[in-house]
Amino acid sequence: MLKYFTRLRLIGIFFALVGALILFQMVRIQTNVNAQKMSASIEEQYGTIVRTIYPERGNIYDRWGHLLAGNRDVYEVGIALNEVENPQTLATALSTILEISYGDVYEKASLPYIEGKQSYAVVADFVSAEKVNELETLFDQYETDRAKVRKGQTVQSLRGLHWTGHLQRAYPENSLASNILGFYNYKDREAATGYYGVEEKYNDLLAGNPVKITIPRDPALVVNVPQVPPGSSLVLTIDREIQAMVERIIDEAVDKNGAASGTAIVMDPNNGEILAMAVTPRMNPNEYWDYGNVFPDSTPFNRALSETYEPGSVFKVLTMAGALDSGTVTPDTPFLDTGSIVVGGQYIYNWDRGAWGPQDMIGCMQHSLNVCLSWVATQMGPTKFYSYLQAFGIGRRTNIDLSGEQIWPLTLPGDNDWYEVNLATNSFGQGVAATPIQMAMAISSVANNQGIMYAPHILKAYIQDGRQYDTPPVAVGSPISAASAKTLTDMLAVSLESESSIALVDGYRLAGKTGTAEIPSPGGYLTDLTNASFVGWGPVDDPKFLVYVWLEKPTSDRWGSTVAAPVFSNIVKELVALLNLPPDDTRHQLNGQ
Amino acid sequence: MTHLFTQAYQQAPWRLQLQRIGGFLAALVAVVLIAGVYLTISAQTATAGLEIQSLERQRETLDRLIADRRSALAELTSAGLMSQRAADLGFVRPDMSTVIYMVIPGYSGRPSAMIAPPPSSTIFSASVIKQSYRQSLWEWFFQGVLGNSSTSSGGY
Repeated sequence: MLKYFTRLRLIGIFFALVGALILFQMVRIQTNVNAQKMSASIEEQYGTIVRTIYPERGNIYDRWGHLLAGNRDVYEVGIALNEVENPQTLATALSTILEISYGDVYEKASLPYIEGKQSYAVVADFVSAEKVNELETLFDQYETDRAKVRKGQTVQSLRGLHWTGHLQRAYPENSLASNILGFYNYKDREAATGYYGVEEKYNDLLAGNPVKITIPRDPALVVNVPQVPPGSSLVLTIDREIQAMVERIIDEAVDKNGAASGTAIVMDPNNGEILAMAVTPRMNPNEYWDYGNVFPDSTPFNRALSETYEPGSVFKVLTMAGALDSGTVTPDTPFLDTGSIVVGGQYIYNWDRGAWGPQDMIGCMQHSLNVCLSWVATQMGPTKFYSYLQAFGIGRRTNIDLSGEQIWPLTLPGDNDWYEVNLATNSFGQGVAATPIQMAMAISSVANNQGIMYAPHILKAYIQDGRQYDTPPVAVGSPISAASAKTLTDMLAVSLESESSIALVDGYRLAGKTGTAEIPSPGGYLTDLTNASFVGWGPVDDPKFLVYVWLEKPTSDRWGSTVAAPVFSNIVKELVALLNLPPDDTRHQLNGQ
Repeated sequence: MTHLFTQAYQQAPWRLQLQRIGGFLAALVAVVLIAGVYLTISAQTATAGLEIQSLERQRETLDRLIADRRSALAELTSAGLMSQRAADLGFVRPDMSTVIYMVIPGYSGRPSAMIAPPPSSTIFSASVIKQSYRQSLWEWFFQGVLGNSSTSSGGY
């Protein structure tokens, strides 16, 4: 009996010792520094997954909420090498459905699996959801057929095939407004960024902030994966229908007149909102890799703000505005045009080398007399003349919220390259260069009948964290008085009406000015090619739009009045309908009610 | 005398043994119960965790799908495609000189796009996953039982 109890005690002691040892070992492991380090290392290496969540790039809408830039769901297709059963099936299926090389896929699917070094091979990226659905169906079919396969038969299997969804930038309107939108080089995935236009200018806003999170593999350790807010969405001032219409008309005009390029801007002069900005050429930003073909050499992406040119007689609007505002002239100021004037020892002639006799200032603008405007500038004097040009923003950026704005510095008295004759040539838009957007901004102060110049802008509102924030218009100066603006608008309306300009549109009183500019070249001004422009606005008593047109080097005719004015007219005819602008008579009746 | 007194009131040895065995079994049952509760809660947490991971993946997929559908819809109603469809249906571009302006009483024109509500002073902030899914039994015990009542009443 004693022996029995001794044995029992011994067994009890043995188990107690084992238990104590286990307990001791547990405590030792828990408190051992090396064990703790190893545990932390294992935890770090295998316990968590670090993921960078890239927010959805913000959408871009037109002023009515039409989507101009959004995102599409696409997939990266790859092969997990350790899961591959049949490389031939994979190669056949992928090459057929994704239209890629059989050899490439087979080579990738046959790669040996090396843990930690070679485990996954990307076969294709930016694959559409439809194609992935096809692959999925085939995958499922092979899995179903597995049961029917007899021993010894080859198993058709797509095992190892994986697809991961992600977003791709998409432009549903294709090339429409592409010069405004710019593009996003989405194929670069993590290094992608916006180029040109809104995509570049507002890249940071659109991109949002990527968030890096550490997710534990242990499902018991639940972490709150933050919902990464998408990048801010933008609502532009652009009207899609007006943009499409202006693009159509400018494309037709370029073709019809054999011009090198065309540019048209439609702007609300009361707040600087750009309603449309059409240029040639344009590209489809969905295929941004064609950039080099569409814009060879140094072709600007958006001529409206990236190309300066000598605007010619449309510049006379600014000269006359300054002269009226400074009190140098009034609409009735007489001028005897003898066909030439000498300024700084140089002869200045009219566009037709003719003498137009007695004129007033309306006549000078109507017939676009260089001699008269040169005289006006000399009457103002260089100090006054150039201070007005500076007030109109000539030589300075408009700071339009689009990427790539260029300027040509304004040569001023005292500069090495300024000569007295510049005063005369500058008065009719030669020897001075500006971008169409600079011209539109400057002339908008006349067009709005207020004398106030608003910064041209493309962003109407932005949406951040689920809220829409409107961007108010910014007045950047008041170069002339409201009275001067009204006077000049009236003068330019009368001059259009007097010459029965092609620019006129039935039912609407419009003001405007043509421009035909000679083109400077290294060997002097070109004799056979010109830049044809037209700027106009209306309705005169309640202005709602300003349209600026520039056709570069038209070959059908050289004059702005015959080449650019019809483009303005065609645009305005459709614009008034798209803007719901009643004819003047109807509007007056409605206002009188 | 003392010895006799002690002996008179001393528990019988078999009762002492029973008490010890009973105590041991009670402790064992308590440990098993706690372990059972712990395992049940751990299992539930793990299940919920997996479900949350799955739902998060589903949310990402749905977000992508929404973006995709929005773009697809925009493509189908794009200016170019709509013009083409109008032309296919036999519509022609009007001669603008023949267009008549009609006054529609009460119509004040299209409102500008309001993609999202305007800013307001209300700030919505809420954690997606409840605290109870993220804390251990140990944390819950200390926070819920030993902590003050205000911290434990979170409406979980």
